[in-house]
Amino acid sequence: MQFTSYAFIILWMAVFALYYLCPKKMQWYLLLAASVIFYSIGLKGIPLGLLLTGVTTYGCGLYLKGNLAREKEERSRCGDKESKKALKAVYQKKRKRVQALYILCNLGVLVCYKYAVIAVPVIERLTGSHVGFLEKVVMPLGISFYTLTAISYVIDAGRENCEVETNFLKVILFLSYFPAVTQGPFNRFAQMKEQFEKEHVFEYDRMLRGIQRFVWGAFKKMVIADRLGIFVDRVYGTESSVVAGSIYICATVFYMLQLYADFSGYIDMASGISETFDIVLPDNFKRPYFSKSVAEFWRRWHITLGTWFKDYVMFSFVMSGVGRKISKTCKNKWKGLGRQVTPIIGTLLVWFFTGIWHGRTVSYMLWGVYYGVIMSMSLILEPSFGVWKRKLHIEEGRIWSVVCMIRTWLIVFVADVLIRSVSLAQAGAIYASFVTRLNIRSVLSKEFTSYGLNKYEFLLLFMVLLIWLAVSLAEERGVDVRTYLAGRPAVIRWGCYYGIVLLLLFTGIYGGGYDTAVFMYQSF
Amino acid sequence: MEEKILEILGEHCEEALDYDGDSMMEDGIIDSFTVINVISDIEDEFDIEIDAKYVVAENFKNKEAIIALVQRLLEE
Repeated sequence: MQFTSYAFIILWMAVFALYYLCPKKMQWYLLLAASVIFYSIGLKGIPLGLLLTGVTTYGCGLYLKGNLAREKEERSRCGDKESKKALKAVYQKKRKRVQALYILCNLGVLVCYKYAVIAVPVIERLTGSHVGFLEKVVMPLGISFYTLTAISYVIDAGRENCEVETNFLKVILFLSYFPAVTQGPFNRFAQMKEQFEKEHVFEYDRMLRGIQRFVWGAFKKMVIADRLGIFVDRVYGTESSVVAGSIYICATVFYMLQLYADFSGYIDMASGISETFDIVLPDNFKRPYFSKSVAEFWRRWHITLGTWFKDYVMFSFVMSGVGRKISKTCKNKWKGLGRQVTPIIGTLLVWFFTGIWHGRTVSYMLWGVYYGVIMSMSLILEPSFGVWKRKLHIEEGRIWSVVCMIRTWLIVFVADVLIRSVSLAQAGAIYASFVTRLNIRSVLSKEFTSYGLNKYEFLLLFMVLLIWLAVSLAEERGVDVRTYLAGRPAVIRWGCYYGIVLLLLFTGIYGGGYDTAVFMYQSF
Repeated sequence: MEEKILEILGEHCEEALDYDGDSMMEDGIIDSFTVINVISDIEDEFDIEIDAKYVVAENFKNKEAIIALVQRLLEE
């Protein structure tokens, strides 16, 4: 069920009306019911996978709670520091074993679903038999998102960074909360529990702000992303030997914008829906294309995924026994650079996993390794950059910032060719076209308008991209656009609201049944 | 102790010493590499082990929070 479908809008309106009419203590039950309905309709079946994850997550949480309580009780009876330490180690070992088993099982299910598509043809080829029943297996909706969300809860519970939940239904609500279940953002239990349990009172302004954010998200998705997608799909779908390098450059830049408009549009819609229920979702984007380095880009793009990998992979590895051992050995061997070895291994691990989380092709693995290597190189070379900057008398300023931004775009551009291409061979051919047949004149010729968008469509695209840029620039300067508009005279305010809604209604890209295209991140 | 922690922090990120907000990690003042290097030096200096569970934004929100964390771990 897409956020822009009639069915969803009706569900949202019904839940919204009941939410503020029902007794305050029942509000979270209503969100749970809505989440189960939303999820079951989207899945077209009983959500067994989600239930299984819910049961194991709930059970693991209870075990950790009991283990921590027993440890504290026994420690309070211990006299000296040494025996307290030994007791802690015993209980910690038990906790880690259970957590490892839990993570292995849940990640195992995720990996099985994700890689069955690749594994089945290989098995069939090897055994010569047809694995028919697997054709009927449907990948559970949002499994990549709710699995990582569940793992974060179990790790946080073991680290005592969140309170363990004793109500099974609240765990299910946390995992299946309908605005976030299909594409995130990745929520943390501590923040969500507090909001689910709060009593929410209706506020007109908040409702309006939620709807505004939803409409803005739909605008980015349907007017910008889906329109850019027409051109991108046509160019990347054409035989690569006949497309000029300059056309590929435009298509890839459009793809960079399409991916951003699509995913950030979804997040705006999800956050807007949630805001109408007085539940704030974490920020997932902070205008990444204004970043001056790749590291900054990834701090601003899919923020909650980045912090997930940082907290649960990077820090877990660096602070682990193995990580510490490597760090100590390397520090003793190579003083300066030695201290960077563990963070570099951690970075490469994070990016390898980020790559395979996003997709199951070799291109995604290479995409992850590419970013891992760039991040590691920048860590190693950072001191030298400083020295060269001083030697060349480069001063920090507006021009330098623009140079750094262009450098970031170029790095992202190279990576995006890799993941947008249908195969590695196509990616190779596209990179080669930038050198062998750039043919800049193609962009100015009729060829440019032969990929699904005519000159009027381009004009419209240019106009809506300008609107998006203006909003982004204002936000970058710390202006909350919705608050700013609320303070303007009614004519300007409502002129802007109607302008966006009319653009959405008349220039949005609709499918056959006036439905929109699926969100791109849904496939991850 | 405080002076030593500030010295370590300043070595890795001078900006962190002047920062007076309460979300140093989210505001991009210190990144994960800096956090790891600061932790490594603090562990060596005070002969303590900082577990991954303490590496949360709350404990690294500003220099005062880092000092409070080390103090707590030394008392444990």
